[in-house]
Amino acid sequence: MAETIKRIPVKTFADVVTARRQALDLSLAMGFPMPEATKIAVVVSELGRNIMLYAGEGTITLLPNEAERYFKLIAQDQGPGIEDIDLALTEHYSTSGGLGLGLSGSKRMMDEFEVWSVVGVGTRITAVRYLH
Amino acid sequence: MNGTGTVGAIQKLENMLLVAVPRDLMDTDVLHLRREVLQAIRRYNSRWVLLDFSRVDICDSFFGRFIQSTAQMAGLMGAEVIISGLQDAVIETMVELGMTLADITAVLDLDDALVLSRETDQRSSESDTSDSDTENILLDEEV
Repeated sequence: MAETIKRIPVKTFADVVTARRQALDLSLAMGFPMPEATKIAVVVSELGRNIMLYAGEGTITLLPNEAERYFKLIAQDQGPGIEDIDLALTEHYSTSGGLGLGLSGSKRMMDEFEVWSVVGVGTRITAVRYLH
Repeated sequence: MNGTGTVGAIQKLENMLLVAVPRDLMDTDVLHLRREVLQAIRRYNSRWVLLDFSRVDICDSFFGRFIQSTAQMAGLMGAEVIISGLQDAVIETMVELGMTLADITAVLDLDDALVLSRETDQRSSESDTSDSDTENILLDEEV
């Protein structure tokens, strides 16, 4: 199967709902069991919410790769950026009044989780989950 | 478009509200649903709220917060929230996300929820009776 690339512009929260639903469907289609597909979808939901919350808009790109047996996702925005990435990844730390679990929990649920962010430029989070 | 996803989600049975939480809710829908639940508690004098998650397959941290805050707010109105229908994949994900939902009672289905509410209501009406006895004694002593 050719590699699928789904690039979803995120402008409203309805786009986040679409993106997480597609992430669930695509990961199930390439053979992830339900609990793992659910985790991938939840990570898309958390990162999509962060885009809406902090940047207002951005994109989520879903890259299921059946040949290489992994699901990669990229959440990107040109928002204010993260000042202290380590702090942002700390469990229960939140600047939005939330539970502070979104980012730390997302990192825990993926095999690879990379945060690139420059203040005033934007944020790009790349996460991978392998199909074992 | 606020709340359009939650129309018809709440029904009343005895002193319980049945809330069939829909799938694919936006955050604004989730907040709208919480407000509708609180209004319905007031309207029907409900003692119990059953949040049923059978239809929900993606439950993130915002959703977990919804469960916690709804339980807390309902509690301040004298109603207890119980949850049912959480799928195994959803539970695994919520726990791994770091959500504990410590004080929330979970039941298997509506039947179990009714058994729990009826038994608890019966017990509390029995203890209410003994409480009022105690009050009478105290009043007598004061007199």
